[in-house]
Parts: sequence; C-alpha cells; structure tokens
Amino acid sequence: MVLKVFRWGPGTRERLQKYWVRARQGMTVLDALVEVQRNSDPTLAFRYACRVGMCGSCGMVINGRERWACRTLLSGLPRGAVTVRPLYNFPLIRDLVVDMTPLKSKVLAVKAVFVPARRAAEDAGFAQVGSGSRERRAIDGGIECIGCGMCVSACTMVGHDPRFPGPAALNRVFTLQRDSRDGAHAERGGLLLGEDVLARCHGQGNCTDVCPMEISPTDSILALRRRAVLRLLGFQR
Amino acid sequence: MRDRKTLRRRTGSLEAWRDTKAGMWAWLLQRAAAVGLIAVIALHLQNPFARPVQAALLGLVLFHGVLGLRSILLDFGWPARWHRLLLLLAVVAAAAAFALVWKWRWY
Repeated sequence: MVLKVFRWGPGTRERLQKYWVRARQGMTVLDALVEVQRNSDPTLAFRYACRVGMCGSCGMVINGRERWACRTLLSGLPRGAVTVRPLYNFPLIRDLVVDMTPLKSKVLAVKAVFVPARRAAEDAGFAQVGSGSRERRAIDGGIECIGCGMCVSACTMVGHDPRFPGPAALNRVFTLQRDSRDGAHAERGGLLLGEDVLARCHGQGNCTDVCPMEISPTDSILALRRRAVLRLLGFQR
Repeated sequence: MRDRKTLRRRTGSLEAWRDTKAGMWAWLLQRAAAVGLIAVIALHLQNPFARPVQAALLGLVLFHGVLGLRSILLDFGWPARWHRLLLLLAVVAAAAAFALVWKWRWY
C-alpha cells in the first residue's frame, strides 16, 4: 500500500512523500510509519510513546481525520493511498511532529488549573469528592482527557481565532468549575464571558467526533455556557 | 530565527472535506441556507407569485429553522453525541414539512 506522508522541516518546502509499505494483517498506521523509518527513510520524524492507545502522543491527521496512529488499522481505512499529516493548529517542528506548547498556554490563559479553596493545613487530610456523588458523575467523562491535542486540531474555531482557548482547555475548565474544592470559580467565570471564549464555540462538535477517549468537549462547553448565562442573569455566583 | 509554520485545514482542498463531520455540515448548511434566504427573499419581494421562488423560500426557511432548533436543543443540554441523529431528523422534518405544505397549498 502507499503512504503519503507530510514532510517539512525548517528551511525546506512542504511536500507529501510517497512510501510503499507491504501491509500485513493487524498492521496499524504507526507500524507502517515505523517500518518506513527503519527500512527506507530514517529521516522521517514522528512522535509516539506507549503504542497501545494510552498516551495520545501519536495523534495525527490520517485521511483527513484526527486519529491516533497506533490504534488505526490500515485494514480499517478505505482502499487506496493513506495520507498522513501532522495535527492542525499546532506549530510544526518537523514532518509529523508538532509543538504542543499551545495546548498548555491555552490552559493557562483560561486559568484551567486547580486552585485550592482551602489551604491544605485547614483540611484534616485530603479533600475528597465521592466517586458516586453527583458532582463527580458530572465530570466523570471530562477528567479522562489525555492531552493528545486532536480536538484542538479538529476545531475550526481554533484555526479561525487564535485567542479561542479551544476544546481541551475549556473541557478542563468545566471539570474545575464543577469541583467544590476549587476556589477560582468566580475568577474563571469572568474570563469565560470574554468575546473569544465561550461565545466563540459554534457547537460543530468536531472535537467530540475525534476525541479518542470519547470525551465530549462540546457538552462541557455548552454546560459552561448555560452556567455563564445563569451567572449573567444573576442566578449563580 | 527558526522557521515557524502551523498547518491549517485548507478548505480549498478535497482532502480537507474528505472527513467533514456531521456537526460541521449542520453548521455550514444552516449558514448557507441563511445566505440563500437573503437572495430568495429579494426575489420573492419582486414577484410573490413565482412558484419556484416560493418553493425555494419555503424550503430554505424550513431547513434553516429546523437546523436552528437542533442547535437550541444542543444548547439546552441534549447530548452532543446525538448531533448526527439530530441532523438527520432535522433534514427529514424539513423535507416532510415541505412536502406537506406544498401539497396542501391552502391559498
């Protein structure tokens, strides 16, 4: 089968390079890339770590859709050449490797980090949210994010508005805004009402469609938006 | 300084459209229907009795409206995972309403 792989490096022109790989049963796109790198082109750069669909570091755009290469079987793709590109909306480092820094900077921009409501010394041990509690069930899906960046790549609004925090950061905000142990709800609530934050999501659901962990950032964003409206109307602090 | 390059989905390429998701189509079609409505309303005001323009107006209003209802349902907490089904239902509802109204022809 033919792999068409995006190639680019500083100072070089971007191109799609063709490689021929003998497809075997059970072969994934990652297997094919590794085979190319080992046998025909050691200069091909791509990122992976666990190889078993846990870490999310092999996220790529395969045949136009964000997928993890280690879980994408060649046999599951339509016949014909398979096109592999790096994730969209992230600065390129080389070939299929992107710089994930924007993921972190967007998280920090909306203060999507835990701020304890009380100092640890005031608690008799760790503050806990029971696994069966309503509070915990509300964020059960959202906390499974592995930070692979596929949702950010698939989001058209991230591509359109660089100030939009994007699905991953807003999903993280959602889990914090529903966390009773967190003490920055009001501060984040103000940030969320900014022109380039919640209002910028058009609910296209691309993030939800590509999330390998089956999280729905769209639902998280829409839930945040409902809370923001209640806050605007004075029903919620 | 090192080159900085960020890939964006190129709407001009076929590959970018190859795996366009249902939610994206719903959004795009609703906007396209709105743009189409501007033109059709202008034509309709010039000649309110032109049947093809009436059909276009009815079709676009229904299509734009049901896709709007879909967005409202999602906004009010219907799971985003249902958005494909909602798109399908919206298209079916618009087609059914069009057929009913067109066949009824009450005026």
